[in-house]
Amino acid sequence: MSSSVLHTEKLCKTFSNGGVQQHVIKNLDIEIREKDFTVIMGASGSGKSTLLYALSGMDKPTLGKVFFGKEDISGYTNDQLAVFRRRNCGFVFQSIHLLENMTVFDNIMTGALVAQKNSPELVKKAEELLRKVGIKEEIWKKYPNQLSGGECQRVGIVRAVINDPAILFADEPTGSLNSSSGRDVLDIFTELHSKGQSIVMVTHDIKTALRGNRVIFISDGSVVGEHEMPVYGSDDLKKRRDGLQDFLDRMGW
Amino acid sequence: MTVMNKIVRLSWANIKKHKLEAVALMILVMLCMMLMGSALASFGGIKEIFPYTMKSTESFQNYLLMTENAYDEEYEDIIREDERVEELVRSQAVYSMSTNYLDRSGKEQALYMCFITMDNNNKLQKTNIETSLSDEEIAALEHPVYMPYAVQDTMGYKEGDKFDMVFGTRKFSFTVAGFYDTLLFDSAGGGFKMIISDSDYHILETVLTKYEIIGYNDCKGEGGTELLMDLINKCTERSHKDVSSGIIALTYNSIDEGITYGIKLMLKFLVIMAAVIIISVAVMIRFRIVGDIKEHIVSIGVLEALGYRSREITLSYVIEYLIISLAGIAVGTGGCMLITPVLLHIGEIIAGHHGSGSVALVPMALTALAILAFVAFIAFIKANMVRKYPPVRALRKGIGDNHFKKERLPLRNTRKSVHLRLAMKGFLQNFKQNLGLTLCITISSLSIVVSFIMFSFFSKDMNAISASAGMELSNLRIELMSSVNAEEFAEELMEMPEVRKAVPTSSMNFLVTASDFNEKMLPLAFSDYSVTENIFPFEGRFPEHDNEVMISSMFSKVYKLKTGDSMTLEYLNVKRKYIVSGVVTSVTNGGVNLYITDDGLRRIIPTYSPDTIELYLNDGVETNDFRYVLTEKYGRSIADASQGSIQNGTYEEKIKAAAEKKIAELMANSGASHIEYAIRSGDTVIKGNSDGFIIRSIMNIGDILKTQLGGLALAIAILTSLFMGISALVVMIILFILMESSVRKQRREFGIMKGMGYTSRELMLQLAFRIMPASVFSVAIGTVVGVSFIKLLTSFLGRISVNIPAVIVLDIILLMFCFACAYIGARKIKKISVCELMAE
Repeated sequence: MSSSVLHTEKLCKTFSNGGVQQHVIKNLDIEIREKDFTVIMGASGSGKSTLLYALSGMDKPTLGKVFFGKEDISGYTNDQLAVFRRRNCGFVFQSIHLLENMTVFDNIMTGALVAQKNSPELVKKAEELLRKVGIKEEIWKKYPNQLSGGECQRVGIVRAVINDPAILFADEPTGSLNSSSGRDVLDIFTELHSKGQSIVMVTHDIKTALRGNRVIFISDGSVVGEHEMPVYGSDDLKKRRDGLQDFLDRMGW
Repeated sequence: MTVMNKIVRLSWANIKKHKLEAVALMILVMLCMMLMGSALASFGGIKEIFPYTMKSTESFQNYLLMTENAYDEEYEDIIREDERVEELVRSQAVYSMSTNYLDRSGKEQALYMCFITMDNNNKLQKTNIETSLSDEEIAALEHPVYMPYAVQDTMGYKEGDKFDMVFGTRKFSFTVAGFYDTLLFDSAGGGFKMIISDSDYHILETVLTKYEIIGYNDCKGEGGTELLMDLINKCTERSHKDVSSGIIALTYNSIDEGITYGIKLMLKFLVIMAAVIIISVAVMIRFRIVGDIKEHIVSIGVLEALGYRSREITLSYVIEYLIISLAGIAVGTGGCMLITPVLLHIGEIIAGHHGSGSVALVPMALTALAILAFVAFIAFIKANMVRKYPPVRALRKGIGDNHFKKERLPLRNTRKSVHLRLAMKGFLQNFKQNLGLTLCITISSLSIVVSFIMFSFFSKDMNAISASAGMELSNLRIELMSSVNAEEFAEELMEMPEVRKAVPTSSMNFLVTASDFNEKMLPLAFSDYSVTENIFPFEGRFPEHDNEVMISSMFSKVYKLKTGDSMTLEYLNVKRKYIVSGVVTSVTNGGVNLYITDDGLRRIIPTYSPDTIELYLNDGVETNDFRYVLTEKYGRSIADASQGSIQNGTYEEKIKAAAEKKIAELMANSGASHIEYAIRSGDTVIKGNSDGFIIRSIMNIGDILKTQLGGLALAIAILTSLFMGISALVVMIILFILMESSVRKQRREFGIMKGMGYTSRELMLQLAFRIMPASVFSVAIGTVVGVSFIKLLTSFLGRISVNIPAVIVLDIILLMFCFACAYIGARKIKKISVCELMAE
């Protein structure tokens, strides 16, 4: 069993809209283990994205605590959380969110240079990562709106991992991509996981969830079930899919 | 109509969405309206002060004052005979530039004064007395005096107050009986005309210089300078006397200019300030519209898809800014209505006259319309860029922009701070926007730098200001009786321990003519200019030979005379050529100071000899105290003699005092240079002469300078402070709006960066650093232009010192201020929620 990299204690997140309070996450205890590819699933509005943002320090919980290792980050100020994110987290989003006014390479360097000083090694690392995800050199100087969605998401992944984050958070990373591009992106996630990268991914797609080794199911802001799987590629895919489907059926998916 | 309704609603919604920016812009428009509207509305009222006073006082357009000595009965006929002269009157008064008054603390202050009787004053004008005292109360007053309005307004005197005039060592006390309006001697600069009783006048006419006053109207109605010069020349030709000596000439234009110059200058400053603000408003509107279109490009696409025409969307922007401007104009007009009467009142105080006091509404309305038209034009020009975005392109977030632009400052080459690098990238990406910002900050910096230099110059002690006087400003200027040898007396004075230096010079009460330009010049003669302390050649050198002169920089500019050029001087038909050896910065006497050696002056006035001593005292010597010491040591001045008491003492003493009084009168008013007397009384012969009368008058130059320039210096210091404050406020609002607009425009970008781990503080710093290249450039340009402007002004007006290290410190403070404003203005970055953005 891997050690815990992140865990919560009675995590609550409540949104208030026009005087109406909506409890999105309720007293949630969860543990994210090191080197796991954790997939968070649930129906729309179940609170999975909210949980991801609370875990990653993007958002502050209303109540409860979030521990990174032994460090309680729930009381951090916004700026402290930003520093926490730059040092420990990488993010991949459904909407990709590349900086439109910067080239591909600058998008990566913007993420890199906030956490570390520039060096030839860093530039070389960025170049290697870009090559590894299949982004050819001729498009490094292009702007995001000159790239396909798949290319953009691959650039987004490089930007997320350039600082060797302790955890890579992904929110529906294939949601806006076609199936071919989505598969390419998931292959990259699988490869990263195989090399020991801790990943937390939110999805509602079974094919995507199959890439993880641990699936947590959320309903009404609470963890209602958990399903463990071997590392992707080390078992029979049909058996893996059936197992996950069984689990999801039990959860009322 | 429905479409129009929707457009107005769209505009209103946009205003409500960005309330703070709208309010900031409204404040700028309000300031502009207030400054421009009140300045233009006041111009009319200020221009009316002079004609109104002319009418209400039934004054003459032009005045010629000549000392009794210089006056010739023939002059009146010469002037009357000129066909251009209509209506002429002759009157008398006494006037002196050596008079002081005791202020409320009992300290002597220099003030030129003219005294006249009611009858003589009524010859010159209609005397409308304003007083709170009854006839009985006035009748009971000892030595009543009626003063010009300006004395009441600027010096705070009221009816019943004591007014002590000091001449020489004698004090003459009056009681203020009331006030009246006058155009002749109506300011602290030229002196005040006081109406006194006949008996008091008879006392003073033995003390002060008697003047014959000729008031006349020019049939053309205005101007009179040309006529005046012709009249002086005619009188000179006919009488073969130096008419220009001791003459005081006031023409319609010079009186008008003298009355309203200061306030008009102030109003012009306000108009310039308003122009600076309206340029800033234009730049701000541009920022906001560009930012708004980029932010709402998809919404614009949706509106277009729904059937709105780009013209209607453009119109919604125009209406948005018209609504903001209307709000600003409404508040600004209210401000105008409050400020204009205050400005008019200040104008009346500065002018020393009461005006008609009406607030002109037409200039305000025109200002409001001009601002609205300008705002509509700028908003239309910029908002028209909506046409570039047809629905499909707008829905694609305006794709087509930023596609193939050149990559600037790639981050892979970052050496030190990524924040600085990103800030510079941002600067280059928003280059067009920065051009507007540069323009605004340059204009503001220019105004701040110029104001600061003027402020620091005019708020300093009088020595700094005196540096631009272009004439010697010794402690005391002693005018000697014509019989006294100035060189010998100077040597004698030098032996006194209090005296640091005594320099003989000319009395500055006669003029020579620069024939080439038909311009009268005031000679300042010194045998050796190296002993002067306050005359600084701007170029060239002091005159050393008898064929050399130095002129003022103003004279040099006006008549395009340079060092090495020659000019002809004329005095009583004697003409000589002189070479210009140098140019002096000089703000005094309208730039007609002529610097010449004693020998040089003798070439056109062979009888010339110095008759004045510039006296410089050692540090720590109290000037006014020493003036009394001087009088004690050198016997009596004419003032003392003429006021000598003959009530006490022996019979012989009484006779001697009466004789000396007569001598004083003759020397002061008839130009006698030496008088001896012998009176037989029984067996005794009482003898005496005028040898004890050495000093004609003593002037405390420092006090005169304070009186004449002190008010101006204070006004400029206040005005420049106001200017600096408004400029700083404008810069602050510009940066505030720019930052708000940038944060809105780049909300998504900043949200992504926050997600990556950039703190709000770092992003605020990036934004603040982004404006710094434009700020540094603007401040540098503003400073260079400002300092150059001051140098140019210096070459015309005088030696305004520029403290370069202080200006550099000011620039640094200005840059820090810009940075701080931008940093604080970018604080909305803190409100960008990463989650909301990511979840979009």
